[in-house]
Amino acid sequence: MKMIALAGNPNAGKTTVFNGLTGTRQHVGNYPGVTVEIKKGVIKKTDFALVDLPGIYSLTPYSEEERVARNMLWKENPDLIVNVVDSSNLERNLYLTLQLMEFGIPVVLNLNMQDLALAKGWKIDTKKLSQTMGLPVVETVGHKNKGFDELIKSVKVALGASQRVSQTAHFSDSVNRALDILEKKLSKENASGASRWLALKLLEGDPDIEQEIANAEIKQTARELVNDLEREHNKEIETLLAEQRYKYIEGVFLQCVSSKLSFKKPLSSKIDAIVLNKYAGIPIFLIMMYLVFQLTFTVGEPMMGWVESAFAWLGDLIASFWPEGSESLLKSLLVDGIIGGVGGVLVFLPNILLLFLAISILEDSGYMARAAFIMDRLMNKIGLHGKSFIPMLIGFGCSVPAIMATRTLDNRRDRLVTMLVVPLMSCGARLPIYTLIIPAFFPSKWHAPMLWLIYIIGILLAIISAKLMRVTIFKGETVPFMMELPPYHFPSLKGTLIHMWDRGKLYLQKAGTLILGLSILLWALSTFPMLSKERIEEYDAQRETIVQSELADSLQAIQLSALDNLQAEESVEYSAAGRLGKFIEPVIVPMGFDWRIGTSLVGAFAAKEVFVSTLGVVYSVGDADEESESLRSKLKKNYDPLIAFCIMLFSLISAPCMATIAVTKRESNSWKWAMFQLIGLTLLAYFITVAVYQIGRLAGL
Amino acid sequence: MSEMVLSKSLEDYLEVIYHIVVVEQAAKAKDIAQKMQVKASSVTGALRQLAERDLVNYSPYDQITLTRKGMEVAQDVVRRHEVLKDFLIKVLSIDESEADSVACQMEHAVTTEIIDRFTKFIEFVERCPRAGDSWIKGFDYYCGEKPQADYCRKCITQTVENFETNLKSGDEMNESTVRLNQVKPGSRVKITTNKLSGVTARRFQEMGLTIGSIVKVERVAPLGDPVEIIVKGYNLSLRKEDLDKIEGILLED
Ligand SMILES: Nc1nc2c(ncn2[C@@H]2O[C@H](COP(=O)(O)OP(=O)(O)O)[C@@H](O)[C@H]2O)c(=O)[nH]1
Repeated sequence: MKMIALAGNPNAGKTTVFNGLTGTRQHVGNYPGVTVEIKKGVIKKTDFALVDLPGIYSLTPYSEEERVARNMLWKENPDLIVNVVDSSNLERNLYLTLQLMEFGIPVVLNLNMQDLALAKGWKIDTKKLSQTMGLPVVETVGHKNKGFDELIKSVKVALGASQRVSQTAHFSDSVNRALDILEKKLSKENASGASRWLALKLLEGDPDIEQEIANAEIKQTARELVNDLEREHNKEIETLLAEQRYKYIEGVFLQCVSSKLSFKKPLSSKIDAIVLNKYAGIPIFLIMMYLVFQLTFTVGEPMMGWVESAFAWLGDLIASFWPEGSESLLKSLLVDGIIGGVGGVLVFLPNILLLFLAISILEDSGYMARAAFIMDRLMNKIGLHGKSFIPMLIGFGCSVPAIMATRTLDNRRDRLVTMLVVPLMSCGARLPIYTLIIPAFFPSKWHAPMLWLIYIIGILLAIISAKLMRVTIFKGETVPFMMELPPYHFPSLKGTLIHMWDRGKLYLQKAGTLILGLSILLWALSTFPMLSKERIEEYDAQRETIVQSELADSLQAIQLSALDNLQAEESVEYSAAGRLGKFIEPVIVPMGFDWRIGTSLVGAFAAKEVFVSTLGVVYSVGDADEESESLRSKLKKNYDPLIAFCIMLFSLISAPCMATIAVTKRESNSWKWAMFQLIGLTLLAYFITVAVYQIGRLAGL
Repeated sequence: MSEMVLSKSLEDYLEVIYHIVVVEQAAKAKDIAQKMQVKASSVTGALRQLAERDLVNYSPYDQITLTRKGMEVAQDVVRRHEVLKDFLIKVLSIDESEADSVACQMEHAVTTEIIDRFTKFIEFVERCPRAGDSWIKGFDYYCGEKPQADYCRKCITQTVENFETNLKSGDEMNESTVRLNQVKPGSRVKITTNKLSGVTARRFQEMGLTIGSIVKVERVAPLGDPVEIIVKGYNLSLRKEDLDKIEGILLED
């Protein structure tokens, strides 16, 4: 089976071309150990495999994307490269084309975004371009599905005639002479046929390639040749090569592109004059962000409600197959474990789809880059990228879509740092914990300041941790900030929906299964081991006595539910979760916590708001929510304001819920970072809370 | 770019169209005929030839504009004209109207390389301490009457004195360079030096910010950083800390 690689600059329309060529037959995977995704598919009506490389500007190995792309070309040796190019930005795009040609794998040049080039007043002479550069050239308009048949045809022709020659004619004679010398030496050692490309990489001083070449003599020769070239041209070799590539491109451009003089300002720059205006820019940005947040959560909320009630209904339906009051294990597994778990997965879906609807619109229209342009100064101070703003903002709603939103960040370091600190943005699910606790322990005029304090602590910790990570684990990895501001265009409905669905599907397939597994595990933790048969029989006997008694029905009901609550408390205490709570009690005592809080914290790992209901169970007040007064009075009896504050603090900082961990695992493509997040945040929470509690006690609070 | 040979009269047409287009944005055949002092019918013929060479966008009854290629050729012709005129006036002290009409004749015969030499030479005459304005004036004088030996001695000592005082006042020969982060939005800069290092330096080059490329500073972000620039026809935003390490010459428009 022939393999074809799809390469191109970010935003050249690669995804669109990929979808156009493959139809729907594709599958997304990751390369081991990297966050970069690789899509694979089969070209329509052929048996050619199509591999989508990450969007890159160059083939030098200075970012993860580039290294993945280059290694894929180098190690997997595709038969052909289709280079998707944004025709309206030809010069910069052709830089990568030259590098692909240097590689030696035959290249088909795909001039996408023809419509934009025409709108710019450019007429590209494709025949001449093809002759000058020595490549087949095919024009397409991706989002209109125009030109894909021709592209496939030309791929077929090119595959038939494919011949591997590394092309370096765009370099000066002196560079080519140096390449000749190195190539000759290398081809004796290395039979792969890529000697000329290897020679070029040796001249460029590519560290990966230098490692690959064992022969010290060749490397010595390369160094001497570089010295000669640098002396001759009086500049560094990389500069020299980059300049020669661009010189050549300039020539190609002048010969092959004729443009009508246009005196009109492009529409994009008119829009930018308003959108990036010194005074109007920030208000417009804030309005946009407000809209994104509203769309994601306010519109999403009723949908989440539907999902929840649908699953509650389903749960009731299934429960109704068993006689009332039955304690069947299968029922509990089905209703609480599986249906609860699937519901817990799907409940995030509306948020994720809506957020990615918003993000696709922002990205496809070109506003995303502007938003980052506006916020970059602020985010840079924190050690993050302008584009980190949206994930951080969404984090106040829910960490799960927020972590998925870090996809908009192009480089690994920014993406990982953002992902790791997003859980510190206090999410909506933690709010029930605060609303339960604050009124129970603090006078009403403190309510609002208290809530603010919690949120601000989260933000400050996020800033500090981001900075810390930048100077510790992510030191050295400096990637310069260079962000393209693409021209605005109207997002296409189809493209937007495809992006949205891609993300939703990915979440369900990859993170969803993990979340489901974890929720069944947590169900098991709070179910097993079950109370002994005798204890259950004792409870049943007590029930029987109440029912048989002479008491009025209403009193009977009260006693029965009190008994239910007691039994629920005892089962939880007896279960693994309860034992875990007790087991960790000595560890959490320095924070002022007892086993009940410990058990609730175990529950909170399923979802933060579960903390409240678990606390309700262990205080045998039954089904409690954040407005439950009976739970508040029990809490007031057992704890004081300092402990209450510590509970909130710990919930804010500590291990995010399992869905967050699952999504982090999925998005970073490694358990390492997911565990780092889990353990790091829990330790951070622990030390801070212990410090606050101990100092508070010393201060006599 | 392949050199194109254009007849003298076609170059004249291109030059005239260029001058009209710069002011009016598009030219009409009638205006061209008037400026060239020829009949409208001969203009049509010439325009057709220019259109065939892909230098102008032309169809009968329509407005005429220059193609990108045409623009470059026209600019080249105009530049040759200006350089020659400059040389005639500044170095040979010919008066302006005569210089203009002679330059018109010469511009078609002189190659680009010779023009470059001319430019350099004018620059050299203007800058070299041993030449300069007063030296040119000496040439005027020379054309009038025979100089005397002690005039020359005086001239040399004067030159040395002037050179010394100029050095002290810091008037050096270098062109003044600016750092890219200090350029006002709307200005264009030709990059001359790149003091960045490592990956950042490479990245800048790969994105098209090579030495010699022309960059337009478009705007500064509302919060004061980063900066949006246009390079190679696309918009790119960069942080000031990096732009600080890039220098260039301000271009006047
Ligand atoms: N005007 C125009 N837009 C296009 C064309 N091809 C793709 N697009 C749009 O460009 C945007 C970016 O495309 P995408 O495929 O996501 O780019 P990628 O980043 O290279 O994968 C999307 O909004 C597409 O709808 C084209 O030929 N012309």
